[in-house]
Formats: sequence, C-alpha cells, structure tokens
Amino acid sequence: MYRYLLNKLTQMVLIVFVVSSITFFVIRLFPGDPVHLWVGGHPTEEQIERATKELGLNKSMYIQYISFLKNLVSLDLGVSIRTKQPVKLELANRFFATFELVFFSMILAFIIGFPLGLLAALKSNTLLDTFIRGIGYIGLAIPIFWLGMMMQLLFFGTLQWFPLQGRYAGVSSLDAQLIYTTGFLLFDSLLSGEWRLFFDGIWHIILPASTMAFGVLGIILRTTRSAMVDSMNEPFFQTYISYGFNNVETIRCSAYKNTLIPVSTIAGLTFGLMLGGTFLVESIFDWPGLGQFSVLSILTNDFPAIIGVTILYTITYVIVNFSIDIFYGFVDPRIKK
Amino acid sequence: MDLLIQESKSDMKYIFQNHFLSKASQAALLFLFALLFSSIAIPFISSYEQDIYGAVHFEIAGRSPSLSHWFGTDSAGRDVFTITIRAGYSSLKVAFGVVFFSVLIGVPIGMLSGVSGKKIDGIIMRITDGFLAFPPLLLPLAITAVLGPSLNNIIFGISISWFPWYVRIARSQALVISSLDYVSISKSMGASKLHIIKNHILPNSINPLLIQGSIDAGYAILTAAGLSFLGLGAQHPEVEWGLLITQSRAQFINQWWEVFFPGVFIILTVCSFNILGDELRNSTIKKS
Repeated sequence: MYRYLLNKLTQMVLIVFVVSSITFFVIRLFPGDPVHLWVGGHPTEEQIERATKELGLNKSMYIQYISFLKNLVSLDLGVSIRTKQPVKLELANRFFATFELVFFSMILAFIIGFPLGLLAALKSNTLLDTFIRGIGYIGLAIPIFWLGMMMQLLFFGTLQWFPLQGRYAGVSSLDAQLIYTTGFLLFDSLLSGEWRLFFDGIWHIILPASTMAFGVLGIILRTTRSAMVDSMNEPFFQTYISYGFNNVETIRCSAYKNTLIPVSTIAGLTFGLMLGGTFLVESIFDWPGLGQFSVLSILTNDFPAIIGVTILYTITYVIVNFSIDIFYGFVDPRIKK
Repeated sequence: MDLLIQESKSDMKYIFQNHFLSKASQAALLFLFALLFSSIAIPFISSYEQDIYGAVHFEIAGRSPSLSHWFGTDSAGRDVFTITIRAGYSSLKVAFGVVFFSVLIGVPIGMLSGVSGKKIDGIIMRITDGFLAFPPLLLPLAITAVLGPSLNNIIFGISISWFPWYVRIARSQALVISSLDYVSISKSMGASKLHIIKNHILPNSINPLLIQGSIDAGYAILTAAGLSFLGLGAQHPEVEWGLLITQSRAQFINQWWEVFFPGVFIILTVCSFNILGDELRNSTIKKS
C-alpha cells in the first residue's frame, strides 16, 4: 500500500513539473508583450528598459526558466502585472469562491445523475430509459454558457425565482457576524448560525451550480447506466434473482458497488470539466472566483497571473485524480495488492 | 501486406454498410451536409446578405421572430437567421481544422513513439501525460490568449492541446501491430521503421482515428464556441455561434431569440457529430 502511494505521489510531482514547464514555454515562446502592460500607456524608453529588467525578460530563456522553477519550488508566483498584487494573494482570495461552486455542483450532479443512471439501467429499453438517455445525450452537446443564459432567462427573466448573478446580496452580509472564516461562504455562515446569509448564499448558488451540473450530467448518466447494465448481466446478479430478491433489492445491497469504480473515474473527469466550465459560468453569473480572474488575466496578457492560475488549476485537478486513485484501493481491494 | 490493406478496405465497407442502417446517423449526416451547403450558399440566397459582413440597420433592431425575419433581428438589426446559418461555416471549419491538425501532429509522433526504443518512448509519453493533465479548456484558453484572438488561432490552440490524444491512439496501434508475427518477419528481413509505419501500422489505424476524430469534431465546436464567447475567437464582423451569443449578452433577457437560436444550432451540430462517432464505434465493436 505504501509503495502504491509513493509511486502515485512521484507520478503526481512529475506531472506538476511537466505541466508547469509546458505552461511556461507556451506563454513565453508565443508572441505577446508583458512589458507594455507593466508600464501602462505611453512609456518612455527608460521605463521600458527598467520594466524589462524588473520582470527578468532581458535574460536568456534558459535562465528565466531556471528562476521560474526556483520560484515555483518556494511557492513564489510573482506579482500580477495587471493588479500589481502578489499572485498568491489574488488566487487565495478567489480559490474558495470557485471551489465552493465546483463542489456544490459536483454534489448536485451526482445526486441527480447517479440514481437516474441506475433507474435507466433498471428500466433499460423502456420509454423512461430512452428519455433519460436522451437528456444525457443533449447534456453532452449543450454549450454550458448558453445553458446558463437560458437559466437566467427562465428563472430570473420570466419566473423571477432566483437572482441574476453574484454570490450573495449586499444587504444580507451587512450585519452578518462570521465566527469561522474558511472562505467557503455557505460553510462559514452555517457554522456561525447566520441563517440569512446562508440561505441567501444557497439562493445565489443554485443557478450557476445547476448549470455546471447539467453540463456533466450526460457523462455521469451514461457511465452509471452502462456499468449497471454490465453488472446486471453477470452471473451473481442472476443468482440473487433466483434466490427471490428483486432487481431493486439486489442493486441496493450489492450490485451498485460494481458501478463505483467507473463512476469514480468519471468523477475525476467531471471535476476537470467543471474547472474548465468555471471560466464560462463564472463570467455569466458574475461569480467572484478564479475563472473570472483567469479570463481577465488572459485577456490582458498578465503572464505571472496566467501561470499561477494554470498551475493552481492543474495541481487541484491532479490532486483530485490522485485521491480518486486512492479511493479505488478502498472500493476494490484487488487494486491495492 | 496487400492482404492487410484489402482487409482494412473491407473494414470501411462494413462500417459504411452498417452506417446507413441507422436512422439517427442518417439524420445526423443529412443535417451536417445541409448545414455545410446552406452556410456556403446563404450569401447568395438570403435577402439580408450584407448582414453577414456586418451591415447595420438600427431602424429594425431587436425585432422578434416573424415571417420576414424567421429568427428575429439582433441589436444591430441583422437578420439572426442569416447570420446563424452563416456562422455554421466557421464552426465546421473549426471542427475539421482541429481534427486535421491534431491528427497531423499527433499521429506521426505517436507512431514514432510506438516503434522507437524505451527511452524515446518514455520521454514522449511523459510529455503527452503533461498535456493531458491540464483541465479541459484551460490550455486552449491560454494558447489562444497568447497568440491573440482569431478563429485560426483557436483552431491552432485547440489542436495543440488535443494532439496528445492522437499520440496515444497512434502509439497503442503501433505497439499492437508491430508485435504481430508478420511485422517481426518484415523487420527481420530488414524493413525500416518508416516502411513498417507506412505499410503496416498506418492502414490499421484508420478506424480508431476516424472514431476519435468524429467525436472530437463535436467537442472542438463546443470548445471553440466557449472561447469565442470569452472574446478569444472570431472577431466582429465575422460570425460564429459563440460570438453571436456573447454579442447579445447585454439585452438577451428581453430579446431571447438572439441567444436561443445560435445555441440550438450548436447543440444540433455537436449531437450530429456525436451520433456519427457512436455509430462508427458501435459498428467496430459489433464486428470484433
């Protein structure tokens, strides 16, 4: 088990290294001028020269790469060119907003997707199955930003059930006394007993989270259904049936476990898709997270911020996939060896 | 060798015979061809053809769908039907461009990796692992941002981030094929790596590449639309579905048709590519 973990850990470190290198080279080898962003409009020759030195752009690519790696190891991500704040600080402020949204969406997607997938397998080749699979099929093809706007149109524009955008309404946070400050708004307000802020947060997160959840629902549905159908065709399932258990009982007590491996593989992929989705969904719902920050940094060619964001996203993605690998060991003892 | 090529030809025949059995894939193909032809022909058919090149008619801005404007008009008075159909051309271009370039970069690297020694293979695989470790959308976003916003840069950006998938497919095909007996014999008779790739591995890789390609075509359209939505893709007066949607963001709560119809076309197109991909995959599985 330890060897398995160590092996995975080495792989993870290697991946992070390769990913940061790719990011560095992609951003520095392709054209783009960070110096002009740093000095602002109408700079003098002198200013440009000083900025080039300050940013270390006058040295050779090789030296720049080495110092980039050094900074990375000491977790120094530099200063954002656009906001002139340390990138680490900028990222820390937004990290929790984004991951609150992503985890809420993940939970939502699996609460809806997993049972529906099982149901589709149970009723396979009926009208219900076709309907559920149809939803899944459209879910795979739907552009998430369009879905978000349609949600706003329906639930804000027509029905007026949910707010258009934002993380919470200004009023509800005014007199809120947060005892815990982890950065996760829902978590903090729940623990501090600030019900008004908590329900306001829930009310605000529902539209963006359902948008993200629907974007991955198709994958979850498909995987769950096909894994369940496979396991229903296996001999052990027929044995249970012949003992007199019905389909639902067999699935509830035993057969659902066979879907856990494929479904948790998909959870990793889903998480990645959601990270990608944050760029679009956050900009539609004006969610103050990493996605919106990245888009702004990218549009202004703020390369320390782009590198920082890319590395943070990728490390999170790699860590989640790593945890899933460990989870495999618990679900299927054969993998642990 | 001849036998093998023949085999792969009859393979294709099998796929196409089965292919036309399914109603869904017939409809998908029909839709894609109709979209292609109408997007090319629309400048000559539509009576609002200047709208494609960015004409402005403020006097008819923001009209809801009617008989003269089937999908309504946008805030610049452009006919949404005409520009939505025309935008299909950009999206199909992205789909084929991305698949073409990904195959062009990925397949040779993958095959080389498959027939090379452990050291080169190892290095190539670690680098592709690195590319695949990025969360989806992040790398194309960064590359397109660095290159500057345009439709061609989007194609390039997505291809650069997706070619590792093709490296993997081509490599696994190369590994399987080059371990077969007749290839070993060919090797022992002095055949070069290039000969083996060209005559043995390539003809046997067309099927899996075709499947991956048709599924990726759909995702390429989705990704490109997302990038255009963020302002990194096609630029006004060019028309592209993601761009049309983002241009209407300010007023879409009151003028739903400007956002609704381009989105529906994205869904239909991506669905069509997915249906074709599934069909190809199923018929390959059935056969084996």
